[in-house]
Amino acid sequence: MNLNVNGRTHEIESPPLTTLLDVLREELGVHSPKVGCEQGGCGACTVLVDGAPRRSCLLPVAALDGAEITTVEGLGAAEHLEPVQAAFVHHYAAQCGFCTSGLLMAATAYIANGGTDDREAIAEALGGHVCRCTGYVKIVDAVAAAARGDEFDLSVTAAGLFTTTMSGGAA
Amino acid sequence: MTVHKGRGIAAIEYPTGMNQNGDPSQAWIKVKPDGRIDVFAGTSDIGNGSKTIQSQIVAETIGVPYEWITYDNSNTDSSPVCTGTFASRATFVAGMAVKKAAERVRERILDIAGKELEIDPADLDIVDGEVIAKGSPQTKISVPDVAAAATWGHGELITGAGAQLKPYAAIVEPETGKVDLPPHSAISYASCAAEVEVDDETGEVRVTRLVQCFDVGRAINPTLVEGQIEGGAIQGLGLGVLETSYPYYPGMEHRGGQFGSYLAPGMEDLPVMDTVLIENPSVDGPYGAKGIGEMANNPQPPAIATAVHDAVGVWVTELPITPERVLRALQRKAAGEGEPTRKGKLIVYDEELSLAAVAHPDAPVRLVVDA
Amino acid sequence: MKAVGARVPRYDGVAHVTGRTVFVEDVEIPGVAWVKALRSPHHHATITKLDTRPAEQMKGVRAVVTAADVPLNVYGHLSALGIPGDEPLLADAEVRYLGQPIAVVAADDEQTAQAAVDAIEIEFEERPALFDVRKAFDPDAPQIHQWGNWYPHFEAGMDRRQIRKGDIDAAFAQADVIVQGVYRPAAIEQLPLETQVCQVVPEANGRLTIYSCTQALYFSMGVVAAHLQQPLNKFKFVGGTVGGGFGGKVDTATETLCSLLALKSGRPTKWRWTREEEFLCSSTRAPWHMEMADAVTKDGWILGRRMITLHDSGAYARFSPYGVTKHAFHHTGAYTIPNLHFDGWCVFTNRTPTSAMRGFGVTSVSFATETHLSRIAEELGIDPFELRLKNANRIGDTSPNGVVYTDPSTVPTILAIADHLGHELPADYRTMTSEPRSDGLLPEHLVAQVGNPEDH
Repeated sequence: MNLNVNGRTHEIESPPLTTLLDVLREELGVHSPKVGCEQGGCGACTVLVDGAPRRSCLLPVAALDGAEITTVEGLGAAEHLEPVQAAFVHHYAAQCGFCTSGLLMAATAYIANGGTDDREAIAEALGGHVCRCTGYVKIVDAVAAAARGDEFDLSVTAAGLFTTTMSGGAA
Repeated sequence: MTVHKGRGIAAIEYPTGMNQNGDPSQAWIKVKPDGRIDVFAGTSDIGNGSKTIQSQIVAETIGVPYEWITYDNSNTDSSPVCTGTFASRATFVAGMAVKKAAERVRERILDIAGKELEIDPADLDIVDGEVIAKGSPQTKISVPDVAAAATWGHGELITGAGAQLKPYAAIVEPETGKVDLPPHSAISYASCAAEVEVDDETGEVRVTRLVQCFDVGRAINPTLVEGQIEGGAIQGLGLGVLETSYPYYPGMEHRGGQFGSYLAPGMEDLPVMDTVLIENPSVDGPYGAKGIGEMANNPQPPAIATAVHDAVGVWVTELPITPERVLRALQRKAAGEGEPTRKGKLIVYDEELSLAAVAHPDAPVRLVVDA
Repeated sequence: MKAVGARVPRYDGVAHVTGRTVFVEDVEIPGVAWVKALRSPHHHATITKLDTRPAEQMKGVRAVVTAADVPLNVYGHLSALGIPGDEPLLADAEVRYLGQPIAVVAADDEQTAQAAVDAIEIEFEERPALFDVRKAFDPDAPQIHQWGNWYPHFEAGMDRRQIRKGDIDAAFAQADVIVQGVYRPAAIEQLPLETQVCQVVPEANGRLTIYSCTQALYFSMGVVAAHLQQPLNKFKFVGGTVGGGFGGKVDTATETLCSLLALKSGRPTKWRWTREEEFLCSSTRAPWHMEMADAVTKDGWILGRRMITLHDSGAYARFSPYGVTKHAFHHTGAYTIPNLHFDGWCVFTNRTPTSAMRGFGVTSVSFATETHLSRIAEELGIDPFELRLKNANRIGDTSPNGVVYTDPSTVPTILAIADHLGHELPADYRTMTSEPRSDGLLPEHLVAQVGNPEDH
């Protein structure tokens, strides 16, 4: 069977019930989708299958003959980041980075489908993704900014929307 | 069904660095022939951003742009000891190690620049990658030129090592807990207000707003500090109302083996969050910084418990404050139970949870209170 | 350009968003063997039979390791501090928690490794288990640990961590009101998105390259070196890029066993815990049981605190004694309480050993102290901001173990919250600072402390 991954067609040798996640990581060396739970529960393995976000740990590859798969490797490289990637850098939406690939793919689909910067709509669309580091605030900031079409200066990170800094303290 | 609103506050403190100290971090730095800086430290970056923070500290200390720093924490062959990324020590303790190493490097750069410019190094400063004469900024040599002169002219490798260690604070009186030295690197402080909505039919507690103020000493990178505070706040929310490994602790049943059976906070749980940073510098941390990574999940649970009481008049002091616990408490309240026992000036809450209520009468451990 | 204080982007930000950050499992190692563990199905049992030969004889199995293969099987998380160890790397004769590892297998693929684990012949005799820390001291409690049901190795052989300060009896005698309560925060999961994982490569020169998700490269290297009884230059730990930790990845959960299997098989090995193993077999945050009684005056001064803490360590000590000590040192929270009587125990139960998690030792007592203060404010009819500001620690006050506070910020952080919420405070509270108390703000019970802090 064939699988189109990030614009290149591969003949797949893994057994048909192998998950898409294992095919990507073990057979094709595509490492951005992460093994977070293999239970469909965390979202770290999310990729786009014909444009729709899917948990690659739950998909037997046999069901995907001829499908077009997009992973983070198929978004922009370092010099040519897609707006959603630039937004994640500028808004500091990734801390450890392990959940980031899955969130980027879900956000890509959300924006491609006309998603807006409405924070509740973003939370609903990306709600099944677990991030243990960020508290989600800056992820929502980043997706909203990308949905708005903001321009990003990557030499700095964005000031927190809700933060005030005071100097001095004790005395 | 009525949704009741409530608010509660909490104030906390938390130590920076391992309790009782004795936890070394070390670093070394070398300068490439074009003046770019390689930092070697053994601090794991678990997402907290220590690669970034330590690179900033080195850039600031030497006086070169952040972009000139490469940071290598990848292995124990090239990096010296770091006790680890825990105990809120990566910025303060490991940050001091790279700062001290950078100070040595700065001294070497100034020394060689002094020879090149024929000026006493004490009269030189490094600003944005250039060594300049104090009071005469047109007299200068770039750090890349200094590095080149060191490499090709003076036959020197510009390098520096640094180590941070506050000695182990021994407990010298085990009976009282008295220590011979301060047992921490610094102490940070925070306060938090939580606002909740409690549904008296379902028992569900929704945290709608968290207002938090943290004394961070000095925000080496304000964005990263916010990230720690926001991430910690959601974990604190999880502690308060969602998460438990043993839902019927001390019973062992219903332990969840997957995300679907363990309530980790999700994006839909995100409350409105206002954060205030106070910079009350530490005495001897890097640029006054204190460590706040861990304490970021400490103030929310009590603020939430207090807010729940404010909303519906019951104290739930077993975490998490699940719908079941709220409803049981409301039922007891409706039945006229759950009030503290009052004996003279003694007011005793939660008697049914206490050791005295559960343990064998002959067991030796009790909280003994003479009223 | 100033680097400190600037919102410079993450050093690794672009790598994160391009999928280029290399985590432990992203390192491709040809011919790597998969590792799986045989784990205890019981909370507490004696192992009456263990035969690994059926597994060793299976095709594709490269090595099986049991307790007998470990040069130093018992090495404690705190052994480097001179505290004795209690936990075997692999269970030997007895299991004390559900999921405790007994044997590990390395095989050509994951399925074969699991089949080999299933083929190991093992029998148990179940023993009574203890789950409730409040019953650990009962005369008829099941005995579950070689040291007894609670940790006995604090300084001077004490079986508890104590704090004593001031004159606790006088404080309680002087009190107008005594408020007592019980606080029980739960065990929770650290829950990093990356589960416990490592890969180990036996090199041609006899060294081991260990790709590790540890939060503490040198600490973990010391643990592996101790179990294997080898010098540090035998090992190269590669890591520093970790998919979340939150305390659980100080445990060094996989590195030693993968190293033993790599040495025994001569093959590289890889062990990635399943999410189920991460949930059910990895350390949790500890559940705590805290009882607190505060002696207070009508106008809201906290004169003294009596407290007992039972820390549920689970089956072994790990970092728990450290956590209880830290807890004791901070059991007054952000306040100055001059008279203290604290006893804390590390209690063993037959649950997964508990260990470090964000806020270790203090998250628990922050919950207890702050909820308790809210109750006191309610009982006395005092504004909760004012009660806290009144008792807030100040410059020159001393901690529970007699250390002088140099730069406290309790007062300004509380005032900032009040300000932000528009909460009104009387003028003398609004203008309060962290400077030492004086005049009307120096109550009689703190006079001695301020005059002579070394005595308190």
